[in-house]
Amino acid sequence: MLGCLFAAPAAAAQSARPAELAKSLERVYGPGARVDTVYVDSAEVYRVSRDGTLLGFAQVRNVKGKDQPITYLVATDSADALRDVDILTYREPYGGEVAYEPWRRQFRGKTAGAPLQVGKDIRNVSGATISTNAVTRGVRRALAELTAWHAEGRLR
Amino acid sequence: MRVPPPILAVLALFALPFTPLGYGQASAQEEERTTIGGYGEVHYTNATGPDTPGQVNVRRFIVFLAHAFSERIAFRSELELEDTKIEGGEEGGEVALEQLYLDYTLSPAATIRAGLVLPPIGIINEVHEPPTFNGVERPSFDRNVIPSTWRDIGVGLIGTLPGSSGLNYRVFLLNGLVASGFSAGAGIRGGRQEGKEASFANPSLTGRLEWVRLGLRLGGSFWYGGSAAQDPALGTGTFDNAVALVSADARYDIGPFMFRGVVANVSVADAEAINAAYGGQVGSRIAGGYLEGAYNLLSALAPSSSQRLNAFIRHERYNTQAGVPAGVVRDEALARRITTLGLSYKPVYNVVFKGDYQLRRNRAGAGEDEQLSLGVGYQF
Repeated sequence: MLGCLFAAPAAAAQSARPAELAKSLERVYGPGARVDTVYVDSAEVYRVSRDGTLLGFAQVRNVKGKDQPITYLVATDSADALRDVDILTYREPYGGEVAYEPWRRQFRGKTAGAPLQVGKDIRNVSGATISTNAVTRGVRRALAELTAWHAEGRLR
Repeated sequence: MRVPPPILAVLALFALPFTPLGYGQASAQEEERTTIGGYGEVHYTNATGPDTPGQVNVRRFIVFLAHAFSERIAFRSELELEDTKIEGGEEGGEVALEQLYLDYTLSPAATIRAGLVLPPIGIINEVHEPPTFNGVERPSFDRNVIPSTWRDIGVGLIGTLPGSSGLNYRVFLLNGLVASGFSAGAGIRGGRQEGKEASFANPSLTGRLEWVRLGLRLGGSFWYGGSAAQDPALGTGTFDNAVALVSADARYDIGPFMFRGVVANVSVADAEAINAAYGGQVGSRIAGGYLEGAYNLLSALAPSSSQRLNAFIRHERYNTQAGVPAGVVRDEALARRITTLGLSYKPVYNVVFKGDYQLRRNRAGAGEDEQLSLGVGYQF
């Protein structure tokens, strides 16, 4: 059970709920994947593998919306391209359209070299400019970090 | 008062299948969080014609203050200062609360909101931070037809319908308009109570349904409520002198192009009685709309840039006396046609430098002029 592999720290603000995170990872990487928690400095990263083969890395991140954080999952494959972005918790009454699959789908396959800018390779959601810009910015940073850590050997 | 079973069923539907927000579980215990934000704009305007020198003004300065008590309960507010300052005896200037409410989220499909809120009508009334619209001043239509920034006190429900429908809704019960403030030129704008010791004699219902797809947002809004405010000259009934507003709007973004359009129709019941009571020339029907298109010039001139230089054109057409009651002769100058062309430069998405040139025409051809405007604005 994926759920057993997590002990989400109770005191950390905006950590993902274990059940939700497990479901999200299973949807992205398929059932039966093994998830190990590794640390780069104080950052918690999930190393996902199956039968000894690396599938990719995933991380739970937060970015500020208008007045509440948006908690999301960034998941890469073994070549540091985005497998998916998942919105785990959206707290505000407006802008929740970033959770829609057609919007999130735009991130799949992108690597750290992609612009990942709203209005260029990522379409805006009209009337939800704050959340689309916030999540795009967050994903861009997360992908850059995960790619760099993997290249430096801090993630293996 | 008993709650009828059908209403209970609808309420249960909203509480149903959505991921409960953080209650009971050890993880994701939120800390309380206070947020300060805001927006503002400074304008330069210069109308053509004699005796109209240019003017500069800190048009508005807004402080947004919010606090999240838990993952479900938040307080949000906006305090506004207009025209730089208030000085006794001088015209202009206003300090006002624009919004102040508590949100209690039951589920993504239902958040209860209570306090001083924005009726969810049209586009500008809810979304009017300077970087979100083109043109230095807000469209004149969003002053005289949909009287932005419209805010009243009440309670309501907002949320996103379940599934991937892309539908979201808001519905509120708020204090009503006051007919004594209606006018020929500005429609129902002067009837707004703005939450200051407002009469609740005419509770009014307002709501909006939106449909969102990638690049597209369609919306429909309404307002219905009396406006007699218990003036015996008009009526003491809750729905006397009812104001019925319906509007539809669309926003569509594709590549470097952005389009938006709004139409609205406002009916003022028994406008004849309102004019008899207060001596005005209020129309019985106020209607109009506008269409706007914009193109990001930098997508062609500097494709790798994330900055924007939007060239836009907007045409507004509305009449605050589209319909008149008996005893009123239409003032043709109130059938307005306004064309605005301009540029909006956004180095980052939250900051804008604006310029526009506006041609203001009307059916009577009276008092027509043009205006050049420049402005800077921000939001965060």
